[in-house]
Amino acid sequence: MSDTHDDLERIAEAEEQWRRDVVEPRLKRFQIEKSPTRFYTPTATRDFDFLEKVGFPGCYPFTAGNNPFDFWRAHAEAGAKLGIRPDSPGGGAGAGRYSGYGTPEDYRDYQLRMQSLGSRGGPNVAFDLVTQCGYDSDSPNALGEVGRVGVALDSFRDFETIYEAFTGERDIDKVASNFTINAPAAVIIAMYAALAEKRGISLEKLRGTPQNDILKEFIARGTYIYPPRPSMRLFRDTLVFCRAHLPKLNVTSIGGYHIREAGATRIQDLAFSFAIGCAYLQAGVDAGLEIDDFAPMFTFNAFGGSMQLYHEVAFQRAARRMWARLVKERFGARNPRGMMIRQPIAAHIGCTSTTLQRPLNNLARAMVGGVAGGMCGALPAAYPPFDEPLGLGHSLEAIQLQVDATRILIYEAGVADVNDPWAGSYFMESLTDETEAAAQAELDKIDGMGGAVAAIESGYMQRAIARSAYERQKRIDSQEELMVGVNCFTGEKEIEVSVNRAVEKLYDPGQMATAEERQCAKLAQLRRERDGKGVSRALGSLETSAKDEGANLMPDLIECVKNEATIQEICDVLRGVFGEAEPVKL
Amino acid sequence: MGSDRKIRVLVAKPGLDGHDRGARVVAYGLRDAGFEVIYTGLRQSPEQIAAAAVQEDVDVIGLSILSGAHLALTRKVFETLEAQGAGDIPILVGGLIPEDDKRALQEMGVAEVFTAGTPISSIASFIESRIVNA
Repeated sequence: MSDTHDDLERIAEAEEQWRRDVVEPRLKRFQIEKSPTRFYTPTATRDFDFLEKVGFPGCYPFTAGNNPFDFWRAHAEAGAKLGIRPDSPGGGAGAGRYSGYGTPEDYRDYQLRMQSLGSRGGPNVAFDLVTQCGYDSDSPNALGEVGRVGVALDSFRDFETIYEAFTGERDIDKVASNFTINAPAAVIIAMYAALAEKRGISLEKLRGTPQNDILKEFIARGTYIYPPRPSMRLFRDTLVFCRAHLPKLNVTSIGGYHIREAGATRIQDLAFSFAIGCAYLQAGVDAGLEIDDFAPMFTFNAFGGSMQLYHEVAFQRAARRMWARLVKERFGARNPRGMMIRQPIAAHIGCTSTTLQRPLNNLARAMVGGVAGGMCGALPAAYPPFDEPLGLGHSLEAIQLQVDATRILIYEAGVADVNDPWAGSYFMESLTDETEAAAQAELDKIDGMGGAVAAIESGYMQRAIARSAYERQKRIDSQEELMVGVNCFTGEKEIEVSVNRAVEKLYDPGQMATAEERQCAKLAQLRRERDGKGVSRALGSLETSAKDEGANLMPDLIECVKNEATIQEICDVLRGVFGEAEPVKL
Repeated sequence: MGSDRKIRVLVAKPGLDGHDRGARVVAYGLRDAGFEVIYTGLRQSPEQIAAAAVQEDVDVIGLSILSGAHLALTRKVFETLEAQGAGDIPILVGGLIPEDDKRALQEMGVAEVFTAGTPISSIASFIESRIVNA
């Protein structure tokens, strides 16, 4: 700050005196050893340089935000008066609400029902675990999982079925699609390209975001297939292909929140996510792409997630500054767009902060995340809906309350009226610096191991996260960390608040029960009807190309898809060449 | 059983669900509580789980499932154990289990279902009192 050295010395002396005269008597009075609170003065930020550390919203190093305001904020008041929902996914032409269940037919019909209720966007597809792990619905590995956490998809026919809901004004040259899939992401991108070709739509018009963040799967989400190195080759192939042919497709959505949900600390989350991000950037550079061309097509998938309001704001500020510096300094980027962390929401509580006990409390918890999000320049998203931990899908009531909570923060509390309201705070600036320094030290450690891929191959990241998850559980079990209704305030004096909760009418859980049978019948029909020779030829060519590390597999994958090879047939060919990843034990 | 032998627990992830935070935390916790814990890693088939349970001669199996496939997978593990003559090994289930399914699992023969917010000590004492010394 602008305080001179003498000013700071005077403040330090005054602080000492305050501690003696005010704090210590209170410690004695209340008979405690250590103050439960802290107070920050200018001495906490001695060398603070505003322009270097914070700057302006929309300017490097983006600590104060990617922009002074986004689209939703620009039109928030006007939208409220007109009854438009800029705060609700599916309201615009982007990808709609994350969804997917049952068979492609079930999911297509769901999309049509959503459209009749006003959804204008493209599909934001959740795939079932069978698809995400590269198996077909009739595989023995698919037992119980078909159509369960997302839609089942075995072949290009299924992909076309889903997109029967997206024609005319909602054709794929007009709406964006999101695909939450990683190990087989290249196959899904191939299907998207094949669909455009079949519909006579130029690939250049395709918009959307495949998750395509395979390294995070090894440490957090678990839907990997091949070992890390061939997985990175597939990432490279999608990146190079997209830059050449699908210039509007975001290449990846790099996970942050998955890593935290898996148990990582805030610092591990930041360091591991950036180590992974750097591995993807390096893959592009190694493939001969220009950093300023492709870095802007990387997105992030909501970093963070905890109840610690101050720390999560500091985390977002540190994350923006760190990533901007990494992209600029390590990779020599000049295009500022590639230095920004583009993510749908920023600070939030994370689903693991919700509790099964007295679940309506999760609305209060989500509100805290919304405040944190609003205070770091994002939509103040009070996410997730309170019934998240019940495991039954979000009810319409819970979604209404979630969206309303976000609106209350925007319109009534004015949380989103100031950019980076914490800028210059002695406390927040020092916490941001501490967060960045700790994450940088962990990132340096991973660089020393040879980067993200090496730190995954050795099991370092996986074990570090599991250890952190266990340490946290021990703190909860020992009441060092308190969770209301879980490990405190659980006695008979508390009231078990019950909640009326109607299951969303748009979504029939009964269809999930019969999805496996219906999907397997269609798969048998596909195998009878398709041209077997074409399938063998395409798969053979894929195998040959897979053995040549320099070859890009996307053209072969598109041929496989067009010939109606199944997801598992394609992935089995690659399993044969690449091998399979081994799960890490304790 | 002899008092010198540690209680042996198999913590297993059946199916394709990759969310293993709970499984790992429980595995670490039971190990620290003095149990001998074998963790299978992700994506184990019911056959692999039954084989590991028999081979490792475990006293109890803990299945962790968060994908919604708990009914089908647990049933299959029971059937496979039965076929291998190890149908007497008690099974615990943990994860994201809706209330109605909890009852269905217990009717199927699951000894207990533990959901989010359960302290590890509760699982440990359940195993000690209700399974091993029952």
